[in-house]
Amino acid sequence: MLQFIGRRLLFAIPVLIGILVVTFFLARAIPGDPCKSILGEKATAEACERFAENKGLNDPLPIQFGIYMSDMVQGDFGNSIRFSRPVSQMLIERMPMTIELGMTALIIALLIGIPLGILAAMKHNTPTDVGTMIVANVGVSMPVFWLGLLLAYVFALLLQGTFLELPPSGRVTAGLISVPFYEAWGWTINEEGFFGNILEFISNHFIFNSLITGDFEIFWDTIRHLILPAVALATIPMAVIARITRSSLLDTLGRDYVRTARAKGAPERRVIARHAMSNAMLPVVTVIGLQMGVVFAGAVLTESVFGLAGVGTALVEAITSRDFPVIQAITVVAAAGYVVINMLVDISYAYLDPRIRLE
Amino acid sequence: MKRTLKLLALVAAFVMVAAACGDTSSDTTTAATDAPPATDAAPFAGLSVAAPDCDYGGSISKIEATGEYEVTFTMCTPVPAFPAIAAFTPFGIQPEEHLAATGGAPLDNPIGTGPWVLDTWQRGDSITFSRFDDYWGEAADYSTLVFRWATEGAQRLLELQSGNVDQITNLSPDDFGTVQGDGDLTFIPVANPNTLYLAMVDQIDPFGDAPGEMTEFADVNVRQAIAMGIDRQRIVDNFYPEGSEVASHFTPCSIDLACGGDAWYDFDAAAAKALLADAGYPDGFETTIFYRDVFRGYLPEPGLVAVEFQTQLEENLGISADVVVMESGEFIDESTNGRLDGLYLLGWGADYPHVTNFLDFHFGKTNPQYGNPHPEIYELLDEGKTIADAATAAPIYEAANNAIRDLVPMVPIAHGASASATLAGVGNSHFRPFGAPLFHRSTPAEGDTFVFLQNAEPISLYCTDETDGESLAPCQQVVEPLLGYAIDSGNVEPRLATACTGNDDASVWTCSLREGVTFHDGSTFDANDVVASWSAGIDAADPLHVGNTGAFEYYSYLWGNLINAPE
Amino acid sequence: MSVKHDPLDPIEQNSQFLLSKPTSLWKGAFGRLRRRRTGQVGMVIIGGLLIMALFAPLIAPFEPNEVLIGKEEIKRREAPCYDALDFIGMWRCPTEDAPQHLLGVDGNVRDEFSRVVFGSRVSLAVGITVVVIAVTIGAMLGSIAGFWAGWADNIIMRIMDVILGFPSFLLAIAIVAVLGPGIRNAMLGVVIVSIPAYARVMRAGVLSIKQLDYVSASRSLGASPLRILWTRVMPNALTPLVVLATLGLATAILDVAGLSFLGLGAQPPSAEWGTMLASERNQIFSAPHLVFFPGLMIMLTVLGFNLLGDGLRDALDPSLQD
Repeated sequence: MLQFIGRRLLFAIPVLIGILVVTFFLARAIPGDPCKSILGEKATAEACERFAENKGLNDPLPIQFGIYMSDMVQGDFGNSIRFSRPVSQMLIERMPMTIELGMTALIIALLIGIPLGILAAMKHNTPTDVGTMIVANVGVSMPVFWLGLLLAYVFALLLQGTFLELPPSGRVTAGLISVPFYEAWGWTINEEGFFGNILEFISNHFIFNSLITGDFEIFWDTIRHLILPAVALATIPMAVIARITRSSLLDTLGRDYVRTARAKGAPERRVIARHAMSNAMLPVVTVIGLQMGVVFAGAVLTESVFGLAGVGTALVEAITSRDFPVIQAITVVAAAGYVVINMLVDISYAYLDPRIRLE
Repeated sequence: MKRTLKLLALVAAFVMVAAACGDTSSDTTTAATDAPPATDAAPFAGLSVAAPDCDYGGSISKIEATGEYEVTFTMCTPVPAFPAIAAFTPFGIQPEEHLAATGGAPLDNPIGTGPWVLDTWQRGDSITFSRFDDYWGEAADYSTLVFRWATEGAQRLLELQSGNVDQITNLSPDDFGTVQGDGDLTFIPVANPNTLYLAMVDQIDPFGDAPGEMTEFADVNVRQAIAMGIDRQRIVDNFYPEGSEVASHFTPCSIDLACGGDAWYDFDAAAAKALLADAGYPDGFETTIFYRDVFRGYLPEPGLVAVEFQTQLEENLGISADVVVMESGEFIDESTNGRLDGLYLLGWGADYPHVTNFLDFHFGKTNPQYGNPHPEIYELLDEGKTIADAATAAPIYEAANNAIRDLVPMVPIAHGASASATLAGVGNSHFRPFGAPLFHRSTPAEGDTFVFLQNAEPISLYCTDETDGESLAPCQQVVEPLLGYAIDSGNVEPRLATACTGNDDASVWTCSLREGVTFHDGSTFDANDVVASWSAGIDAADPLHVGNTGAFEYYSYLWGNLINAPE
Repeated sequence: MSVKHDPLDPIEQNSQFLLSKPTSLWKGAFGRLRRRRTGQVGMVIIGGLLIMALFAPLIAPFEPNEVLIGKEEIKRREAPCYDALDFIGMWRCPTEDAPQHLLGVDGNVRDEFSRVVFGSRVSLAVGITVVVIAVTIGAMLGSIAGFWAGWADNIIMRIMDVILGFPSFLLAIAIVAVLGPGIRNAMLGVVIVSIPAYARVMRAGVLSIKQLDYVSASRSLGASPLRILWTRVMPNALTPLVVLATLGLATAILDVAGLSFLGLGAQPPSAEWGTMLASERNQIFSAPHLVFFPGLMIMLTVLGFNLLGDGLRDALDPSLQD
């Protein structure tokens, strides 16, 4: 097993290096001058020259690349050109939003998708099955941005004034401030230090932070704001998971050992829970891994629709303002995360199905 | 390069210190009359910053603390517009010590004298301010001010309708009626003067190393044909909100001296066709309309208006144009250098209420945005800008407007109306023509918190080195300049200066400062804070000239150039 | 590296039935497709779209970019109004002689229905072009990698791994940001991110077929690799590629619409559904019809191709029949 993990890790390294290289040159190849994008239409040529000099944009490309690679390897993402702040600080502030959104969406997708798939498989070839699969097919085909706008229209406008009203944008209601748990508990920490950064990153997960500090007003408020975007984002993975669960369960239900279990007179519920499910979960795990990438990409669109300040909107803003370090950092982090997730999927897969390790 | 810069900065800093010390001797101070508690008996040592000479291209020669509560600005040329410019937010005053302590970059911790103290900036979400109880003016009636942001107009309106926020900016044109018809909301017109124009380039990149080709628009007949062949009324009627008007001159008429000379051509498709035929294009030609997809008061719906121009050019003149949207930064870069082959849609919102802010920027000698600049226009402008007396300047601007009308470097289209909205319960709701609302003079609809929803998150809160309205709006709540714009007009009012008076030819301006003002950190405001704040912006050799981008855009653009600007 | 036979890997699933003879596969496939309900619905939707696209000028009452200012007494963004549908609240006309527009008019006072109809041309063309190019390139790279194992295989497949290393939509965004916004560049971006899937299927197919008796037989008889590729591999590999491509059409249309929504795809005045939706997204609360209908069309088109792809897979792979 360890050997398999080692091989998988080695295999990931050239891919990660490739990603770093591709990202750097993609970011530099974007046309347009960061100066005019950032200083605006009233920027003079002199101001732009000073700007480029200050930001190191006048260095030759190979030198910029060398600096970039050595910084990246040390985990230093540099400073945002637009905001003059460390990109890592921006990631600390913005990633938790995206993680919360993505995880909530994935949980919704799992909580609805898997039972739906099981239901469809158990009631195979009945109207329930057909109905479920219609929902799944429509779900897979749903443009996230369209669904998001429709949800906002229904829940923020049509249902305004009812108890079902949900906010169409933002992360918390204005005026509510999430107090980081370390401040709430009176810890004194150095916010600039590595440990402080980690604590800050954790505390920016508002749901988690408000839960452990017992601030239920913020907790409910955050959840209320998350529902619409998370549902919109969850639709496609939910449908995919429902479909794969169904087909995989149908497949195992036809296998000999399940037939044997049935023939022995075990109740259907038990047959499914004990015998069929554990084997049917294999492909579901793969699909969940693949869907993580879909969720992240969908987060770009969802955040844009719901005006959420996550890394998705940060990426789009950075592209329009030619903020290279931010583009690089987000793309690299997303790709690296994706590679790691795929690796975890492979490993869990190997764990579940020992045959694969022998390859 | 970097090393020489550092060296230069060191030398300059040394010179400055020397100059500052030297000044104490020559300073025949008058501060004896009203000295603050005599904790230190030492005479006031006034700082100053000066340009080595007046050949550097900028208009400021020297800024000097000529007394504990007096600052004198000596200019290189007459600058009649000084008060109007000095009232702009980037010229806000922070404590000298605070600038030094933050290394010239108080990006997220500004300290000012304004009615609001920065409390927390929750990145990505909101900024909270609390009332400054020791404000020199009348402090707010409520305790907390919150800034939030949402990009989409629909979202902003919905938040207002839900009562989550007290005031929103940049109402979508289609929502004007909705707000006006809603008894729970108040509609607030914003009177910031602006102009949308359709520009034409007569020669590609005329100032480039290898100037490009002459275009169809090199023929003045073609330009006049476009001027007459666009039904501007139809555009304003269909795409602009109520209160917008067709442009009779480039500069909106609410600005002094703006509307001398003949009004713009009337729409006349037949005459336009004839002119086009004279120029050798009886069947029109092919061209491109460039624009950027950015919402501005002068252009509320860029894509729709660009398509409308495309339609009109085809129908009225037989000119078939492609519509091309460009990324904003790239568009500005290409258009301002005259590198776009065709027509483009751009506009201008006033920075300060003065005719030079419109005409000099757009038709100056060094501006290649329409290809070759026209001496018939810029010679008049150069003459006009040094004249302080309005009656003397009037005929010059009249002639300049007529020259623009005859030569048609661009077609002025519209002056767009824009609007803000508040909940009906908000007291003294307003939106200033220049700058953001003065929130301490309003009151929230209910409770003790006022929530303001704008377009986007600020970039930083050190507005000496910012240019976007979303940063300038929160800055104004915290940091104040010497002067400020009135709540309902472009008139200039006292803020930290009780008055700024110019000499006869407007080349020396003396500002008397307000006494007994304290900063948010408890320190006392005096003339040295003014000099230090200005120096950090205008003097590139000042060690505190750091900021966010380091460009100090408004200093170099509004005052001609930075002092000691690196070559 | 040997080919693993994992019945649950979707790519493997597709290459599995490479092993059966091509003719027997296609024979009766259409019949099976017609009998499957998903296939039926998919065919109806796609058929409808094709008719809409082919006869757009006959169906649409106006040109897609025809501005109606001055031609009709109508406000911009006027809601749908249609006498025949008057009994449904949404289509009630404000006045009796108001101009009739089935789906209302948009911000430029253009007939929304005509634009939606013409939009089908754009979306179908976009989807088909993207997939044809991606399949061609992907199949070429895949067969090269499969046939000439060794360094060519390594280089090609490692590049494919790097592309797959990015979340695909994100990479497409980055590529379009580099090339500049526009429908062509958006399509190119989507092409690039979808190549690896086809390359992998093709390579797996080639690898599995290479070992078959009749292929090694023709090799030993001196047939050139190109000839083997053309006569033996291609006909077999076509089947999984067709299935994958049909499903790929759905993804391509969805991705290009998403890019357009972010302002990176088709530019105004093009009647592309994603662009139409994006340019009126701000009006979701005041003129929801301008957001609803283009989005609905995207959804239906994607649904159609998804169903058709599923149906095709079932019809072409008898082993999956349940």
